[in-house]
Amino acid sequence: MVKKILSYSYIYILLLLMYVPILVLIVFSFTNATYIGTWNGFSFDLYVALFESEEIMIAVGNTLIIAVISAVCSTILGTLGAVGGHYLKRKSKAALENINQIPVVNAEIVMALSLVVMFVFIGNMIFGGANLFSFWTLLAGHIVISAPFVYLNVKPKLQQMDPSLYEAALDLGCAPRKALYKVVVPQILPGIFSGFMLAITLSLDDFIVTAFTRGSGLLSGANNIETISTLVQAKIKKGPIPPEMRPLTTIIFIVVLLVVIGITIYRNKGAKHKSLARQKFRARKE
Amino acid sequence: MENNYIIELKNVSKIFDDDTIAVDNFNLYVRKGEFITFLGPSGCGKSTTLRMIAGFEFPSKGEILLNGRDISNLPPNKRPINMVFQRYALFPHLDVYDNIAFGLRLKRIPVPKKDKEGNLVLKIDHKKIRELKREYSLIKRNRHLEEDVKEAKLNEIEKKIEQIKSTPTQSYSYTKLSNKEIDKKVARALKIVDLEALEDRDISTLSGGQQQRVAIARAIVNEPEILLLDEPLGALDLKMRKDMQLELKEMHQKLGITFIYVTHDQEEALTMSDTIVVMKDGVIQQIGTPKMIYDEPKNAFVADFIGESNIYNGTMIADKKVRFLDYNFVCLDDYPLNEKVDVVVRPEDIHFVKEEKAMIKGVIANKIFKGMNYQYTIMIGKTEVMVKSTASYEVGSTANLSINPDGIHIMKKDFTTNVYTDAWVNKNNEVMIDDKPFACEITQLVPDSTLDEDGNVVSKDGKHKYNFNDADVVAEIALDKIDVIDNIDSEECEAIGEIVDSIYVGDHYRYILRTENEEDFVFVSPYSYNLNDKLGISVKKEDIKLRLKKEVNEYEI
Repeated sequence: MVKKILSYSYIYILLLLMYVPILVLIVFSFTNATYIGTWNGFSFDLYVALFESEEIMIAVGNTLIIAVISAVCSTILGTLGAVGGHYLKRKSKAALENINQIPVVNAEIVMALSLVVMFVFIGNMIFGGANLFSFWTLLAGHIVISAPFVYLNVKPKLQQMDPSLYEAALDLGCAPRKALYKVVVPQILPGIFSGFMLAITLSLDDFIVTAFTRGSGLLSGANNIETISTLVQAKIKKGPIPPEMRPLTTIIFIVVLLVVIGITIYRNKGAKHKSLARQKFRARKE
Repeated sequence: MENNYIIELKNVSKIFDDDTIAVDNFNLYVRKGEFITFLGPSGCGKSTTLRMIAGFEFPSKGEILLNGRDISNLPPNKRPINMVFQRYALFPHLDVYDNIAFGLRLKRIPVPKKDKEGNLVLKIDHKKIRELKREYSLIKRNRHLEEDVKEAKLNEIEKKIEQIKSTPTQSYSYTKLSNKEIDKKVARALKIVDLEALEDRDISTLSGGQQQRVAIARAIVNEPEILLLDEPLGALDLKMRKDMQLELKEMHQKLGITFIYVTHDQEEALTMSDTIVVMKDGVIQQIGTPKMIYDEPKNAFVADFIGESNIYNGTMIADKKVRFLDYNFVCLDDYPLNEKVDVVVRPEDIHFVKEEKAMIKGVIANKIFKGMNYQYTIMIGKTEVMVKSTASYEVGSTANLSINPDGIHIMKKDFTTNVYTDAWVNKNNEVMIDDKPFACEITQLVPDSTLDEDGNVVSKDGKHKYNFNDADVVAEIALDKIDVIDNIDSEECEAIGEIVDSIYVGDHYRYILRTENEEDFVFVSPYSYNLNDKLGISVKKEDIKLRLKKEVNEYEI
C-alpha cells in the first residue's frame, strides 16, 4: 500500500514540478499586476495590451512565417535526403549519415557563427561587399538546423518499409518517380509529419541562429527581423519581463495543448471511413 | 513468328558489382502456358534469374527475348510481366480493393489518333526514340559486355533510331480504364482467388493465406503474359501450403498464363510444375519434367536434391554390370568398362527379400515411422543404406536386400568437384569426411556469421546462435584444391590413400586416391604418380564448401 502511494506520488510530484511554473504563469496572465505575486483582481487587461502591442504582434507574425516556410523547406530537403540516402550504397550512405549528424550533435553557437562567417565571406567575395543579412539568410539558418532532424525522423520509416514495395509498384506499371509518391511516400508519411512538427518547434523557439543570421525584412520592414525569442531577449536586457508576455505564453501553451490532443484523438480513432466508391462496388456486385 | 516460345533466355549471365557470378550462361526456352519451376538451394541464382525476367536486374551478358523481342534492358514497368513477391509486398496504406486495382489504374489503352476529317494521324515516334536512346546509354555503360558485341548492339540501335526517324507511324492517344471496367476486373480477380467479401479490408487485418491470395489477385488482374512467383508459399504453414499448391496449379490451368515459379522445396516443384530447372551455383544442372528429373537425375547433385536417395561410388565391371556396396549389380545403363560412376538408388527401389534371394545383407540400425511407411537405415559394413518399406522389421535384425536393375541409376561421375554426401560436423567444428576430420570454415553455413569462443556460430545481427555438432552436411572439394603430400607420416596429412586411377588430360593428370574406407578423392596434378602409390592429402579450410542437409533453424540454440 505504502509502496503504491510512493510510486504514484513520484509521478505526480514530477508532473507538478514540470507544470507548476506554467500554471502560475497562466493564472497571473489574468490580472494586470506588473509583478507576479501580487493579485490585482481578475481582468483581461494584459490580453488587450498584448493584441494592442504592435511590437509583439509583429514578432509573432515573423516567428510564424519563418517557422512555416523553414519547416516546409526542411521537410522537403530532409525527406528527399533520407529517401536518396536509403538507396545509396553502404559506404556513401554511412558518409551521408555522418555529415547529417554534425549539425545535430554540434553546439548551436558553432553552427550560428559558421553561418555568419559564411554569409560575410560570400557577401564579400561574390557580391562585392554587399550585406547579405536578410530574411533569406535567416531562413537558410533555420533550414540548416531543422533539416537534419527531418532526415532522422524519416530514416527509420524507410528502414521499416518492406524494400519490395517499391519494386512491386514498378512491377505493376509505375515509372520510378510515380512509384516513389504512390507507394514510398505514403509509407513514410508519419515520419515526414513528425519531422515537419519538429522543424516547426525548432524554428519557433530558436534564438541563437536567429540572432546571428537575421537582417531586415518581413513584417519588421527596414528594421532587423524581430521574432518572439529575440524580442523577449531584448526586453529582458532593459528591465523585467513585460507583463504582456504572460498572455502570449498562455496562448502558445493552449494552442500546443490543443494540437497534441487533436493528434492523439485522430490517432486513437483509427477506424477509417469506408469510402463511397467501395460501397458502390459492393452494391453493383449484389 | 518462327517458334512458339514466349520467353527465351540466351546465354544470360549476371555478374554483380563485387564480381560475384550469380547466374552463369543461362539458356532457357519457355513455351506459352507452361508452368516452369526454378529449383535449387538458396544462393543458386534462381531468384536473380527471376528478377532479370521481371526487370529488377539487367543481365550482364546475353539477352532475354519476350515473344522474340529483346527486352533485356526494358524497365519493369514496361514489361507485360507481373510478379508475386516472397513476402507479398502488399501496399499497407491501401485496402484489398485498391491493392488489386493498383495496376489497372496505371494502365493506359492506346486509341488511334484521328484528325478532324477522320484520317489517321501519322507521326514520328519520339517516345520510342527516347526509349532506344536510354537503352543505348545503358548498353554503353555495361562494363561486362565484350567490346565487339557492344559495338554490334549499339550499331543496331542506331539503325533502329534512324529508321524510326524516317518513317512516321500511327500515333495514339491513351485513355485510362473506366471505373466500371476496373470494378469488373477486380471482382473477377477476387472471385478467382476466393476472397469475394473482403475487398474493403485493410491489409493488416488479413491472415497470411489471405494476403497471399491478394498478392496473386493483384498480379493476375493485369492479365500478364507471364506470372512470376518468388517462393510465394514460403511463409505459409504446411497445410495451407499444400492447399495453395493445388489451387495455384488449378489457377494456372484455368488462366492459361505462363507461370515461372521459384522454390527451394523439391516437393513443391515436383507437384506443380510442367518443367523443372534445377540450378546450383548459377548453373543449370538439369531441365526436364518432374518425372524425368526424379527418375533420371543427371548428376549426383540433382539426385541428392530431388527426393531422398542413396548415392554411392561405383565402377563398371562388365557390360551393364556395376559394382557398389561390394556386390555386382545388373543395371540398364551402358558405360565403358572400369569407368568410375555415381550410382543413385531411391529408398523405395530397395526391397526386403527372403535370405536366399538377398543381394546384400546389413543390420537395421534405425527405424522411423513415416505414416505411409517405415524408413530404415541399414548398415552394410560402414556404409548407410536408406530403405523405405511398409513392412515392419526389428531394429538390430539382419536385413536381406535386393535391388532390381531398373532401380539403379548410373551417372557419369562429375569430375569438377568431389562431393561427399555423407559428411558430418564433429564437436571441434571440423568436417568428417571418410571418418577423418578436415579443418573447415563452419561459418559458411550461415551467411556473414562469426564464431564465438564456445564454438557456436552467431548470425550477423547476433540474434541467432547455431551449434552444428553432429550436423549432416554435403561437403564439396574442387579437384584442384586438394594438396598432395608425398610423406605419408607427415602431420599435415588429413587423409591417406592409394592411387587407384590415373588419366592424362591434356596438360595434367587426374588421379583418384582411394582411402582404406573406400572413399575416393579425385584430384588433378601436373606431377606424375604411379598406381598404388601411397600418398597423403590435405585441403585448405577455405576450400571445403559445406551445405546443410537439413534446414539451418534445426540447429539453432
